Amino acid sequence: MADSEEHSNSPSDRPILASGVWKVFGKRVADAMAMARDKVDQSEILAKSGCVVAVQDATFEVNWGEIFVVMGLSGSGKSTLIRCLSRLVDATAGRIVINGQDLGEMPELELRELRRHTISMVFQNYGLFPHRRVIDNVAFGLEVRGATKEDRYQKAEEMIELVGLDGWASNYPEQLSGGMKQRVGLARALAVDPEILLFDEPFSALDPLIRRDMQDELLGLQERLRCTMVFITHDFSEALKLGDRIAIMRSGAIVQVGTPEEIVAHPADDYVRDFTIDVPRHKVLSAGTVMAGVSPDMVLEGEPVAVSARLDAILPRLLTEGRPVPVVDERGERCGVLEPAVVSRYLWRQ
Amino acid sequence: MTSLTVRSAGWRRPMAYLGGAVLLLGGLIVLLPEGIGAFPPEWDIGFGPAVNEVQQWWISNRRDLGVYLFFFDPLSDSIDWLLRAFENLLMAIPWYVHVAGVGVVFGRWLGRAGGLAAGAGMLYFVALGLWEQSVQTFSLMTVAVALAVAIGVPVGILAARSDWVFRGLRPVLDSMQTLPAFVYLIPVLLFFGVARVPSLIATVIYALPPVIRLTNLGIRQVPTESLEAGLMFGSTSGQLLRKVQLPQAVPSILAGVNQTIMMALSIVVIAAMIGAGGLGQEVLLALRHQEVGRAVEAGMAIVLMAVMLDRFSHSLVGQGRMGGAHHTEGLRYRYWWVAGGVLAALAIAGWTIGWTDYPTALQFSYAAPIDGAVDWARDNLYQLGNLPVGTGPFSDFLTTYGTRPMRLYLSEEAWPVVVLFFGFVAWWASGKKLLLGSVVGTVVIGLLGMWTLTMDTLSQTVVAVLMAIVIGLPLGVAASRRDWLERGMRPVLDTLQTIPSFCFLVPVVILFNVGRIPGIIASVLYAIPPVIRLTNLGIRSVDSEIVEASESFGVTRRQKLWKIQLPLAMPTVLAGINQTVMLVLAMVVIAGLVGGAGLGLEAVKGLARSDTGLGFEAGASIVILAMILDRITQGWAARFQPPSSDRG
Ligand SMILES: Nc1ncnc2c1ncn2[C@@H]1O[C@H](COP(=O)(O)OP(=O)(O)OP(=O)(O)O)[C@@H](O)[C@H]1O
Ligand SMILES: [Mg+2]
Repeated sequence: MADSEEHSNSPSDRPILASGVWKVFGKRVADAMAMARDKVDQSEILAKSGCVVAVQDATFEVNWGEIFVVMGLSGSGKSTLIRCLSRLVDATAGRIVINGQDLGEMPELELRELRRHTISMVFQNYGLFPHRRVIDNVAFGLEVRGATKEDRYQKAEEMIELVGLDGWASNYPEQLSGGMKQRVGLARALAVDPEILLFDEPFSALDPLIRRDMQDELLGLQERLRCTMVFITHDFSEALKLGDRIAIMRSGAIVQVGTPEEIVAHPADDYVRDFTIDVPRHKVLSAGTVMAGVSPDMVLEGEPVAVSARLDAILPRLLTEGRPVPVVDERGERCGVLEPAVVSRYLWRQ
Repeated sequence: MTSLTVRSAGWRRPMAYLGGAVLLLGGLIVLLPEGIGAFPPEWDIGFGPAVNEVQQWWISNRRDLGVYLFFFDPLSDSIDWLLRAFENLLMAIPWYVHVAGVGVVFGRWLGRAGGLAAGAGMLYFVALGLWEQSVQTFSLMTVAVALAVAIGVPVGILAARSDWVFRGLRPVLDSMQTLPAFVYLIPVLLFFGVARVPSLIATVIYALPPVIRLTNLGIRQVPTESLEAGLMFGSTSGQLLRKVQLPQAVPSILAGVNQTIMMALSIVVIAAMIGAGGLGQEVLLALRHQEVGRAVEAGMAIVLMAVMLDRFSHSLVGQGRMGGAHHTEGLRYRYWWVAGGVLAALAIAGWTIGWTDYPTALQFSYAAPIDGAVDWARDNLYQLGNLPVGTGPFSDFLTTYGTRPMRLYLSEEAWPVVVLFFGFVAWWASGKKLLLGSVVGTVVIGLLGMWTLTMDTLSQTVVAVLMAIVIGLPLGVAASRRDWLERGMRPVLDTLQTIPSFCFLVPVVILFNVGRIPGIIASVLYAIPPVIRLTNLGIRSVDSEIVEASESFGVTRRQKLWKIQLPLAMPTVLAGINQTVMLVLAMVVIAGLVGGAGLGLEAVKGLARSDTGLGFEAGASIVILAMILDRITQGWAARFQPPSSDRG
């Protein structure tokens, strides 16, 4: 498992680098790409060329140990994109680099090794093998790479315990509930000690309450394991909750990449803004984002707040005191001020 | 409601076409000069004699031909060896061990009643003195099914992994399933002659398609996510196949094996014509000598074997589906260890005291009462006194007003009219390609010199199909309205569909004597289940919202049936009729054996007299006829399918 400190996050050392990635389903690929570049919309491209442009010109990078969320509506190409990252789907154009290795040029054998040791995936409908017991499902990755029965069962037991399914090892998937199935999926992915975990809408099929549990659990796991995760969802609040950074997709293109706060505070266009409307902003925005500049000679009273403090902690004070509150950076130096008028503009925009 | 308007338009148009066809036909008959009758016999291209020459050459040179020396002969020898070894093994085990063993297996899988019934079934084979024949048939079947699985599963895997193979294979499999079993004997005969191995090979070929189909299907149906999961852990393609795809395809493959077993059993009697021996031969000989009682005894044995194997392989499917999941391992095996131990002890005991054969004193036969009953039926049911009631007058009626005029018309009326009529129906059913195909096909039948015989077979098929529809459609409609009727009919239909085709001939011959009519009656019985089933299904699966909508307009029951349910059920009903037509044809061909005349009789003659050429000509005509009828009825069914945009 990767430790974020070990890695420099310099461009050559990122776990995932994607530049100009395209995926076009169909025969007349070149025509379709040309039309997509001219901003012709998807249904028209489909009608004219018979092609679906599922991913167009996607460029992004993922940092060590972060949860990188890809968010978009149904059919916006998220699944296709994540499948390009593991070459379950061959990208039509563009370059994907995993751990410094070019995925597109990787020979079959190396690709298999990469999948056996480095990348794992969790699926929307669990993708469990119905003919194998829970423990054999979890041990599958180890079995495929040739571990002895003893070793793989030991590791699998550990993983089953990690996801809280002790005692279910010899049941079959059909005997489990949805939440438990996805725990098996997770345990199976973790059992091979991957550096990179791909999640394709893993919690979409779960009930809201179970989904929340699983999200919390995933965050807990991430604390302990610190691996790099690419997480797909169509639920913006899930994206905000889990994502260190979020990429927003629309009709195959990535329209914005940023931290949850950047996206809520400065949506790139109306499509993105639509998602942010129902977001409880005071839970997302921090003092640093909404503060106004301050001149050194300005006199401010009251206890200062940190730049990283969330608005929901500051708001009661701001409202009751009704006067500007100073903001200080990590070194304790004053760097801005929270003006009630400015803050309210951020909170109740539109 | 758009679907309704679309469909009723589709319903009316064929009527217009049909009217056109009648007019065209009338016109042709008037216009064609007198004297054009059946297909001119002098146009016979002499295909049969040519085949015979090839066969002669083949036979006289076979000692020198590499394919024989290094392929066919060793293959045939090893299959023969396998067959004999298996047979000897089964014969060596004392009969009561068989009875108990089968009871134990069935008891475990199907409950106590199932075990007892199966044991009783086994007792039937022994007690009627049919043990040796049963063992022969069973061994041949087992080896044939094993070979079919050994060939079919790998081919199915190939087809699943390569779209290219699949596309190439599909039309072959499709046509293999439409051909009557009979046809498979003829080419096998050409290469191997009459013996057990050729009959086994014919059985394998005939029974092969379901395993291939369902292996392919099972693998292709594995969910994508499951495959992706397999790939994502870095499986090689071999690992993917062994650990992910095949295990999940097991239920489907087993279903294929079940179908294969049933198909293999259904040609037991037919295969006996080229030397399969066993129960089939028993039936065949009995029928030839008109010993109905004996034929019934052996026929019942085949039916019993079919039912037992069907139940057995069905429960295999069930076991496969559970993946053996729900037993704890220890318990699961203890039963088999104990049962196996007891059986082995019994066998050893039998061998040491030398008591392995069923005591002759306890043998049993019910042939005599049946023969008595047959005589009685012949004397009494054939005609009741001087009244025009009974099977005799009924056959006379069918002959006078059904088969004879139709046969005479088809075979003696100007042949171009028939060819064009076929072409027209084909064109109306599916378009130009089929028009061309059926015109060429019918002309080829003529050139083979099989015109009159084919028209004979065709007329019997048409009469039987009409009867099946006239009886089956109302039954299906009735079943769709009454749950109790549907429930009551289901086991009857199930049984009709498991009984090998040949066994239908036996009771029919009892009642109707020999000739064309018993063949037709047997065909109706054999082929009626699909019409009933699919009419019922079609009507029941009409969208209940549409039915309710029509009820809100206050339709009567009759209006509802004719205006809503039947038109909407039409595609399904027609699919049933397509199956019925193919079954009727298969049966009519077999009925050649009980005086049905036509192509079947000719093929049998060919087989019996080693006139392979004649068999080939008749066989080829059957194939052509089967293909044309299949495509026409399928095309017809497709016409009633609503346009695809309407389906979502
Ligand atoms: N194998 C394929 N062949 C053709 N078109 C495809 C294929 N796979 C996906 N597509 C198309 O690509 C587009 C993007 O699909 P994708 O599954 O990536 O969307 P998604 O964002 O994951 O949606 P969802 O939230 O519904 O899973 C869709 O229009 C889809 O129809
Ligand atoms: Mg998706």
